[in-house]
Amino acid sequence: MSCPKTQHLLQEYFSDELAPVVRDELDKHLSECSHCSTELELLLMAQGNLQQWQEKQVPHWDRGLTLFRQEHKTISNASGFWSRWQWLPTAASFVMLCVLVFNFSIVTDDNGLTISFGGSPTSSSSIQSQLAEFQQLQNAEMQALVARIEDRADSNNVQLMQAVLEQTQRSTAESFDQIYSYFEQQRLLDLQDMRVGYEQLADSDYKTIRSLQQLVNFVGYQSDIR
Amino acid sequence: MSSIDEDQALVAAALNGSAYAWDKLVKRYEGRIYNQGLRLTGNATDAMDLMQEVFLGVYRNLHRFRGDAKFSSWIFRIAHNKAVDMNRRKRFITAQPRLSNLDEDNGMDNFPGEERFEPDARLGEQQLNDSVLNMLSELSLEQRWVVELKIFQSFTFDEIAELQDISANTAKTRFYSALKKLKVVLEEDNVLS
Repeated sequence: MSCPKTQHLLQEYFSDELAPVVRDELDKHLSECSHCSTELELLLMAQGNLQQWQEKQVPHWDRGLTLFRQEHKTISNASGFWSRWQWLPTAASFVMLCVLVFNFSIVTDDNGLTISFGGSPTSSSSIQSQLAEFQQLQNAEMQALVARIEDRADSNNVQLMQAVLEQTQRSTAESFDQIYSYFEQQRLLDLQDMRVGYEQLADSDYKTIRSLQQLVNFVGYQSDIR
Repeated sequence: MSSIDEDQALVAAALNGSAYAWDKLVKRYEGRIYNQGLRLTGNATDAMDLMQEVFLGVYRNLHRFRGDAKFSSWIFRIAHNKAVDMNRRKRFITAQPRLSNLDEDNGMDNFPGEERFEPDARLGEQQLNDSVLNMLSELSLEQRWVVELKIFQSFTFDEIAELQDISANTAKTRFYSALKKLKVVLEEDNVLS
C-alpha cells in the first residue's frame, strides 16, 4: 500500500537541519506508516552501501613541491640584495611616528645640544619672545629697505633727466652743424653757378664784339670798293 | 585553531612562499580529492591525473582565494570544474567503471603499508569499492555530483547548491532521486541473487 506523503516526508528526512516539531511529526508518521518506513529503510541501506567505500591511500607524488620551490626560488632570487633591506621602510616609518608622537626635538644653542621630548611652557614663552624680536628686526629691515629703494629711485630719476638733457643738447648741436654745413655747401654751389654764368656772359659778349668787328670790317671793305 | 582557520593560515603562508605550508595544505586534501577522482573516473590513473590537475589549479589560483568562503568549498569547486573538463575529454562518468584498472594501479602506486601484507583484506576492500562504483555508475551526472558531495564530502545542501550554482531544494531533490534509484538497483540485485 502506497502513501501520498512518502516523497515529501523522506526528502525532508535527509535535510540538514530539521525543526524538532517536524522531526517529531516525521517520526510519528514513520512509526505509523509501514510503506514510508520500509521505503526509508531501503534508502538508508542504499546510502549505507555507498558509505562502505574504503578510502584508498594516495600514491606517492611530489605534491607540486618541485614546481612550488622552482617558482618561489625564482621570485626570491629576483628580489636579490633589496630583499635583505625590506625592513628598512618599516623601521623608518616607526622612527618618524615616534618623533611625532613624543614631540621629539633637538635644539642647538650657546649652551650646547639639547634633546627634549614633548613641549614645555618655558621654551614656548622664549620662542614667543624670540619671535617678537625677530618680527621687530624684520620690520626695521623692511623700512630701511624701503628707504633705500626710494633713494635709489630718486637718483635714478635725476640720472635719467641728465641723460635726456645731454642727449637733447648733443642732438641740437649736431643739427646746427648740419644746417651750417648745408648752407655752406649751398653757398659754394651758388658761387660756382655765378662763375659759370659770368663766364658764359663774357663769352657771349666776346662773340658780339667779334660780330661787330666783322660788320665794321665788311662796311669798310664796301666803302673802299666804291 | 579551527580547521577553517588552519586552512587560511596555511594558504597565507603558502602565498608567502612556504613550501612546508603548501605541502601541509595538499596533504590535508589530497586523500579526499584522490578518492573522489577514483569514484568519478573509476580508475587510479585518471584519478591521479585529475588530482594533479586540481592541485595545479589550486596553486595557480591560490592568490584569488579571499577567505570569505571555506577553503574546502573553494577547492571542491575547482575539483568539480576540473572533473567536468576531464569528463568532456574522456567521458568517464557515462561509461562503466574500469574495475580492473583500479585494482592494478593501486598495487603499484600505494605507499608500503599494512594492507600490502594482507591480500584477503585488500580483496575485500576492493570488492566493496567495486560495488560502490557499480552503484554510482547507475546515476546521472547531476545525481552523482550531489551524492559525492553529500555522502562522501559531508557538504550541506546549501553548500552543494552554492558550489553547483543550483538551489538547495534542487540539490535535495537530486539526492533523494539518487537514493531512490540506488534502492531500485539494490532491489533488482536482491531479486537476481
